[in-house]
Amino acid sequence: MAKYKVVHYINQFFANIGGEEKADIPPELRDGEIIGPGMAFKAAFGDEVEIVATIVCGDSYFNENLEQCIKLIPDMVKKYDADLFIAGPAFNAGRYGVACGSVCDAVHNILHIPVLTGMYEENPGADLYKSSFPIVSTKNSAVGMRDAVAKMSSVALKILKGEKLGPAATEGLLETDIRTNLFEETRGSKRAVDMLLKKLSGDKFETEYPMPSFDGVNPSPQLEDASKAKIALVTSGGIVPKGNPDHIESSSAQKFGEYDISGVTDLTEETYETAHGGYDPVYANEDADRVLPVDVLRDFEKEGRIGELHNKYYSTVGNGTAVANAKKFASEIAKNLIADGVQAVILTST
Amino acid sequence: MNYFIVTNNPMVRDEFFESNEIVYFDMEFEELLNKVKRYCEEGHKLLTHPLSGSVKPKETPYKSILISKEKKDIDMSSLNCIINCIDSCKKFGIINHIMNNEKDTDFQLVDLSLITSALMSADSCNI
Amino acid sequence: MKLELGYINIKDIVFGSESKISHGVLTVNKNAVKDLVLEDELIADVSFDVAKPGESVRITPVKDVIEPRVKVEGKGGVFPGWLSGVETVGSGKTYCLKGMAVVTAGKIVGFQEGIIDMSGIGAKYTPFSTLNNFVVVCSPVKNVKQHDYEKAVRIAGFKVASYLAKLSRELTPDSTEIYETCGIKEGIEKYPNLPRVAYVQMLQSQGLLHDTYVYGVDAKKTLSTIMCPTEVMDGAIVSGNCVSACDKNPTYVHMNNPVIHDLFAEHGKTLNFVCHIITNENVYLADKQRSSDWTAKMCRLLDLDGIILSQEGFGNPDADLIMNCKKIEAEGVKTVIITDEYAGRDGKSQSLADSDPAADAVVTAGNANELIKLPAMDKVIGTLDFVNSIAGGGENSLQEDGSIEIEIQAITGATNEAGFGYLSAR
Repeated sequence: MAKYKVVHYINQFFANIGGEEKADIPPELRDGEIIGPGMAFKAAFGDEVEIVATIVCGDSYFNENLEQCIKLIPDMVKKYDADLFIAGPAFNAGRYGVACGSVCDAVHNILHIPVLTGMYEENPGADLYKSSFPIVSTKNSAVGMRDAVAKMSSVALKILKGEKLGPAATEGLLETDIRTNLFEETRGSKRAVDMLLKKLSGDKFETEYPMPSFDGVNPSPQLEDASKAKIALVTSGGIVPKGNPDHIESSSAQKFGEYDISGVTDLTEETYETAHGGYDPVYANEDADRVLPVDVLRDFEKEGRIGELHNKYYSTVGNGTAVANAKKFASEIAKNLIADGVQAVILTST
Repeated sequence: MNYFIVTNNPMVRDEFFESNEIVYFDMEFEELLNKVKRYCEEGHKLLTHPLSGSVKPKETPYKSILISKEKKDIDMSSLNCIINCIDSCKKFGIINHIMNNEKDTDFQLVDLSLITSALMSADSCNI
Repeated sequence: MKLELGYINIKDIVFGSESKISHGVLTVNKNAVKDLVLEDELIADVSFDVAKPGESVRITPVKDVIEPRVKVEGKGGVFPGWLSGVETVGSGKTYCLKGMAVVTAGKIVGFQEGIIDMSGIGAKYTPFSTLNNFVVVCSPVKNVKQHDYEKAVRIAGFKVASYLAKLSRELTPDSTEIYETCGIKEGIEKYPNLPRVAYVQMLQSQGLLHDTYVYGVDAKKTLSTIMCPTEVMDGAIVSGNCVSACDKNPTYVHMNNPVIHDLFAEHGKTLNFVCHIITNENVYLADKQRSSDWTAKMCRLLDLDGIILSQEGFGNPDADLIMNCKKIEAEGVKTVIITDEYAGRDGKSQSLADSDPAADAVVTAGNANELIKLPAMDKVIGTLDFVNSIAGGGENSLQEDGSIEIEIQAITGATNEAGFGYLSAR
């Protein structure tokens, strides 16, 4: 029987080329080579599967040359007529996770072959791609390599043999909102009776369909008098002082910035710009007030329509940023704002 | 009468044009739901459920919906309901029907039957 | 109220000159049942067939599935309001032909559905593939109104089922089962420490091919009400619906209502099964409001601790489901709902058209949009003419080799929301 053919994608670190200092290497095709985690996959697959090539790319290079990489790498994969493309596992490495996700997405869309990757649930690549193709849930560091490879190879074999994947929890995949059918041991009515008995006795029970939860935010009461209020500006539109001093990421932001605007009445092309990589930056760079309206609020301040504009603003990039991170940023920002006596915030998005 | 019927079903139009107020649109299912959404945005109240019937949206091309004549402040539950229905209608985008005369007539008939059941309720009370 | 069910196991069905049941074999005289069906002048012709588990047979389009039962002792008769007055049923003794069903099939409207496969992957999805099915295929006289003809075929099914069940009158059941509930006060005294539980059942009640009848009354003209759980075992509720067959309750499911049976199994042990509450799923929104207010009110009046709430259908009934659940929970009555999902073929869409955090305990009967490829069958009872137009079917549903690619919503009982099947989703 012919072996199934797999092409594997890894970054410079797992290819033993180097760490951050080597993160700028462009994609390399290693024909017939099995490298790093590939060896573990080979062992797990046994005779049924052959890794026919490994593609190595630096994480920085990939993220900075995304458009190029998502064309180039599928081209490299194409000639192998592979049955499956595997990337990673990326664990909690943010840029590696995004790279694994986008390269899988590209290979899947261009070559129409199944793809598979693995990463930690909080990796920014997870939220971006877990609904598009299977992503195995891994631990947050390479300590979990053995476990990750075991789960990924078992899912890979199922995919290769054309077997239908079960629900995410059963397969060890990242939980998604995708609904998958399965047959239970007991009929629905009996499951309902059992669930009711648990609910009645206060025991833990697991609903089979969690109602969609909309993370609703109740609006705060209206400001009684805006002309006396201290108002702050917060944005996910990525407006930063020219040069992006805190290096806020253009996507999947890992941080936010706090910037002093004491005395600033207008954001100009020379002084401010956007770090956001998810929209055409031309108009924001020309006049950052379009995203963060400092100019208008200074006018309001002068006219007495607001009490004052807070002398600090907060900024991050909302482009593919994990919800967990966004929540974390927000709670820190809110703490600072409250400490500074801010009564209201204008939150601008893009 | 304190309601009117919004429909794209010619059979409903022809059946009730004398006894009821009918607004007939020659348009597709989802477009009609969007029309109804605009009525709700203007403050009309939804009186029947837009996804009545088990024939799925877009499988049947026909839909008739009762709406209050009276316009008040926007009724949020009406608006939410129609928005939910438009959303859930989108997932039924794939059904591709080979329509023939008989089927077409039967789809109209089932829709007529659904709206008739609503009129029965609407006419027997005064809300 | 106490009802004894006597089970007569039917292992095979054959045609012969004399209708009888002997050693588990049901023999049917075709002419006798034919005459019975053709009593209705709206039915032009009828044919009969038998489909057995494991056979390469597809039955479609299925209208109803019915279990033959006959009252042998006590008040009233099976199918009250249709065949035997309207006297309250649910007590005394009833014989049931187990392991078989009467299936009515044939066209009523130009788009129609309901598939029962007796073997292959499809058989796994329909609970009726495990039965010996006596199939009644009717055809109408010319120019009949669909409403009238639907009723004619509905009643024809009950008549045939009743005719067959009567053959068992003099037999000794293979086994018996006793179902008994108590009055409110009696129950409290008898089971002072058990939680008081009821079953709230929502019934399709929207119009042609979307109706359910209770003692002959159209459910959309009813107010939410209380029944003794044994009443449905005598056919007190019957089906008049078959569109999107996956999540509609055929009469067979009403008679063998799984929630009622599974609650009885715990009755007196872990819970006190107080009653069966029925409510409807009307199209008119004020009706929904009133009906759900009433179910919640009754749950409160009956001092219930918990209920199981089952839905029938999708879309419009989602609104009733959520209203009922929210209002009943708000009365402090713990609620578990049984529903099914329409999450799209890729499973990525929102499953229900309505939702609420109060619905925190949900049993799902699966995603009805799941695509399935049903293999060709050697024999089709009914007709495949409609397969291409049934819900979940598409232009290319019927393949050249006779196989069908289709959403499981076309399969009778595939995602039954009374919890009759084993399918679920996560």
